[in-house]
Parts: sequence; C-alpha cells; structure tokens
Amino acid sequence: MNEEIKLTADLFEPLSEDEKNHEFIAAQSKTYFQDAWGRFKKNKMALIGLAFLSVMVILAILVPMFSPFEYDGMDLTALNEMPSLTHPMGTDKFGRDIFVRVMYGARISLSIGFSSAFICLVIGVVYGGIAGYVGGKTEMIMMRIVDILYSLPNLLIVILIMLIFGSNVISILIGICITAWIGMARLVRTQVLTLKEQEFALAAYVLGASRSRILFKHLVINCMGPIIVNVTMLVPSAIFTEAFLSFIGIGISAPAASWGTLANEARTLIESNPIQIIWPVLSICLTMLSLNFIGDGVSDAFDPKKK
Amino acid sequence: MQNAILKVDHVKTYFPVSTSIFAKKQYLKAVNDVSFEVGEHETFGLVGESGCGKSTLGRTIVRIYDPTEGKVFYKGQDIGRLKGDELKKFRKEVQMIFQDPYASLNARMTVGEIIREPMDIHHLYGSKQEREERVSQLLETVGLKPDHIRRYPHEFSGGQRQRISIARTLALDPKFIVCDEPISALDVSIQAQIINLLEKIQDEMNISYLFIAHDLGAVKHISQRIGAMYLGSLVEIGESEELYRNPLHPYTKALLSAIPIPDPQVMRKRAALDLDGEIPSPLNVPTGCAFRTRCPKAMPVCAEVKPELQTVGTSQVACHLYAK
Ligand SMILES: Nc1ncnc2c1ncn2[C@@H]1O[C@H](COP(=O)(O)OP(=O)(O)O)[C@@H](O)[C@H]1O
Ligand SMILES: [Mg+2]
Repeated sequence: MNEEIKLTADLFEPLSEDEKNHEFIAAQSKTYFQDAWGRFKKNKMALIGLAFLSVMVILAILVPMFSPFEYDGMDLTALNEMPSLTHPMGTDKFGRDIFVRVMYGARISLSIGFSSAFICLVIGVVYGGIAGYVGGKTEMIMMRIVDILYSLPNLLIVILIMLIFGSNVISILIGICITAWIGMARLVRTQVLTLKEQEFALAAYVLGASRSRILFKHLVINCMGPIIVNVTMLVPSAIFTEAFLSFIGIGISAPAASWGTLANEARTLIESNPIQIIWPVLSICLTMLSLNFIGDGVSDAFDPKKK
Repeated sequence: MQNAILKVDHVKTYFPVSTSIFAKKQYLKAVNDVSFEVGEHETFGLVGESGCGKSTLGRTIVRIYDPTEGKVFYKGQDIGRLKGDELKKFRKEVQMIFQDPYASLNARMTVGEIIREPMDIHHLYGSKQEREERVSQLLETVGLKPDHIRRYPHEFSGGQRQRISIARTLALDPKFIVCDEPISALDVSIQAQIINLLEKIQDEMNISYLFIAHDLGAVKHISQRIGAMYLGSLVEIGESEELYRNPLHPYTKALLSAIPIPDPQVMRKRAALDLDGEIPSPLNVPTGCAFRTRCPKAMPVCAEVKPELQTVGTSQVACHLYAK
C-alpha cells in the first residue's frame, strides 16, 4: 500500500473512443468445444481410434444391407470354409458367412455400447444434478440410495435381470445401466456442488432464473468436459460387459449374434478351426483399443490445464 | 428516513458450521445485528476489512441467504414474505453486481446470450428481435461495441467483463443494485472508469446502490453516506464527507489511515492509528465491543458492554468513547 491513490472528481472522465478498446484482449473467438476439438486433433492415436471406429460403424450399417448373404442364412454345402473372395472371413459350422455375422454383431455391440452410455448420461446427469443442486436431506437420501445400488454385486443383478426378462437386447441394456449410471451421477453431483456456489450461478439466481434453468443452462453446461470424458469411458465398458455375458452364454443368443456370441460359438471349434474365433475377438480388441484411445484424447482435450 | 427504498432491520445472518456430528452446533456470525436504510437514488457505501461480512450482508439483501433473525424491507415490504409475482418483481428490481469478474459470467454463453437471459427469464419485450436490439443498446450504454455480442467472456479483460455484468443487470431496469466490491479486482486506472459508468447509469435510470468496498478511498467518491463494518456489525454510519474528515470510531480512523494520502504531514499523524493484530474469527466474536482486542483506546467497559449505535453530531457511532 505504498502507492499514492486519491480519487478526485477530475480523475473520472469518460474515455475517448480508442481508449475504450485498449484493454481489449485480441483473441480468436473460439467456443469451448472448438478449442477442445483443436486439442483432440493433435492426438494421433485418438484420431486413429476415431477413424477405425467410424469405419467400423459404416461397415456395420452397410455390409448387412448390401451383402448377398444373410446373417442367419445357412449353406450346408459350405461348412467351415477358410477365408476366400466370396467369404472374406470364411464360414462357420452352419455355413453362415462370418464377415456378415461379425458386422451384424458390430451393430448389436456398438448400439448397446452407445445407447447404454446415452441412458447413463441422461439418468446420471439429471439425478446427480438434482442431488447436488437441491442439497440438504434430499441429497443425503439420494446419495445413500446410490451407495446401496453401488454395493450390490453387479454381475449378479445383470444375470438376475436376464433370467427374469429373457436374453434380449433390452434386458442387457437394463442390466448394464442399472449400475453404470452411478459414476456419472456422483461426478455430476460433485461438480454441481462446487459450481452452484460460484458467482455466475448466484447471479442467475438473483436474476430470477428457475431452478431447472440454473441447473441445466448454467451448472451442467459448465461440467460438460468431465461428463463427456465419463461417457467415452462408459461405451467400452458396456461393450465389454455385453460381450462377456454373451460369451458365457446368457446374453444375445443364436442365430442373432453379438461379438460375444460369435466368440462363444467359435470356442467349440477352437482346435479344428481356430481362425473362426479370431474375427470376433479381433473386432472386440480393436474396438476397445480405439475407444480407449479416443477416451484418452477426449480427457486430454477437456483438461483445462492443457491450454 | 422519509423515502427509504431499502430498510435493513436488525439483520443477523449466521452460518451453521459442523465441526463433528457430536459437537454442539456452532454458528459463524457473519452478519450480527445490522440496521440501516438506503434512500431513493442514494448510494450507501459499506466498508470493512475482508471477512467482516459485507458480502453476506449484500447477499442477504438480495435474498440469496435468508436472515437468521431480523428483516429486510424493500419499498416497505418484508422481502422474506414475497412469493409468486411479487417475488418476481423483486427479482427484477433488485440486482447484484459481483466482485469477481472472472467468476460472475457463465463461460459457456456468449455476451449476447448473457445480457439477453434476464429479459428471457422475465419475458420482457414482445419478440426475440426486440430483445436483441435492447442487447445492442445496453452494450453501447456500458461502453462495449456491438460486435462483442457474439464473443465469449474469456476474450475480455476484467474491466470489460464488469461492464458485461453491469449490462446484464441493467437489462431488467433495476431500481436497487448491490455492488459487491465491483472494482476491487480491477486495475486502478480501470476502477475509475467503472465507478464513472455506475454513476452515469445511476443518474440516467434513477437507481439506488449499496456499494461495498474494503477501503474507504473507493467508496468516498461515489457514496452519499458510508457505513463502516467490523466483524458483522456496523460501528459507524455517517455522511461521506463527514466520515472522511472527522471519523469517530477508532476502527474508522484506522481504515482511513490505510488510504495512502499525498500529504506527508497528515500521513505521519495517521500512521499512529494503524490496525495491529489479526481480525478475530467470526466464530468467536469477543465479548462487549468486538473491536476491543485491536483498539488502541480500549477501556475495561469495552469488554463488558456491547456499545449501541448512538447519534454524535451528524453521524452514528457504536463506541464507549462517546458515551454520554
Ligand atoms: N456460505 C457460507 N458458509 C459459511 N461461511 C461463510 C459463507 N459465506 C461467508 N462465510 C463466512 O462469513 C464471514 C464473512 O464473509 P463475507 O461476507 O464474504 O465477508 P466479506 O465480503 O466482508 O469479505 C467469513 O468468515 C466467511 O468465511
Ligand atoms: Mg466479499
């Protein structure tokens, strides 16, 4: 406090036009997401992952549509064939084209992965957001419910649900989502808890904004980074859970096929035709790897410390 | 006061602090029995060291916190009882400008969205088009350019962000604004610009301010009256000039001596009144006069009796030195 400051009336003069702008920080007008995309693009592995995943999605959509073979079309004249031009991955023990079946499996595995991530996103954000924003007793009760759900044995619940509702995509989705949203809910709650004390949230409150407006337009928007990072983790873990369930024989059942089912079917032929198990396993591995690279890229891109 | 727009009546705002679940519940007395009034078109300055409860008082006035005891009256109405449309009207007329220009704007919204939001909330003006026009007008009023509308807050400096904040509150045509240290995070040269802007809009729009600052220098120029706050209580209220020229309470004198002044003669005289010691914790407010632990003129009575505000000349002061 050694500076000498005295405020007198003659200090307070309007600025001239160019003085008004001298404080302006010249920066490119970029949104948060453009910024994050810029950082993501610099990550080679993440880009490769994204490219692989995109190709996989496109093939999963197109191949079953345009291939001359059906995923359940048997051909008893061509059993257990090795890869050839007509059957790029060969045929299985019923003479079905494995390439079509793997791509058909990609449809099931990827849609389970993405839709369960989406369901967890919606439930987790709403639940965690409300708990964090409302606070008090409501929050206490809501978070204890989450703790109880979290402490239940995950696989046991999934298997129970499959037994009750049958082995289909819907019950797999329910089984996966019933506990997977918890991480998201906890994350959003913690974020909202700190954000709601910040001045921009108080400002919105003083302006008369409703609770839901403050929660979604101000608080949730500001924790989009961690939320997206969490979503990119949810996708591979859902794909993996589904593959595991189908592999042990309680997931998607034949003739429909996910990667797990395919691996399970090929398992019986592992000695005579080992090549048949390679295709679904390779698909699972490469997809998981890509998703993990993407996840790393996304979390780096949204890390505020990496500016 | 005849035409008080705001009346704060024995307000106490306590925060419960949990030490452990078995311990007796403790309270942090952030605001401890404060009363004052603000007139129409008046600026009431509130000064005090940081942590003395200024922000808490300001937030209680705009109903972010509910007072533990006491009441706040806006235009004669107890704000604690407002509901529905009346509350909505209160939210439109009573606004707050925050201290940290970096935390008080939503980083994910453009300047245009930030300024338009209050109008959206209160359904002001018929169409989105009209709101957009009003946004441009407001940008001009606060000295920003129309093409700033599509930019994000992080592209602006502290002073410009504070202008955006001001434009956001002006969108509602408020009658009373709590300015919570709006200039203390800014460069000295920019502080003057913001004060100037606040005075300009006060005259144009007939607004009353509660202007909070931690040093007297900043509030003296803009305020008609000033209250000095210490550990949750007002220790002195006076006309701005009077308080500056003739401070009564030892705490006010110390605050004044913290303002550097060019005259070395006066400087030396005031230096003797520097505040020593740490400010006590609001969890554990000293008995009697809260300031006695740091007061150069403390007397035995100060430890026993809490002094009430009493009129001395044109000011009011809570100090045993002026006991009649
Ligand atoms: N939300 C809160 N919960 C608990 N304690 C708080 C809260 N807000 C402020 N305080 C405490 O109240 C006291 C006064 O704080 P504040 O009003 O921010 O002071 P000032 O604005 O004068 O610096 C401080 O001791 C602070 O730690
Ligand atoms: Mg403060």
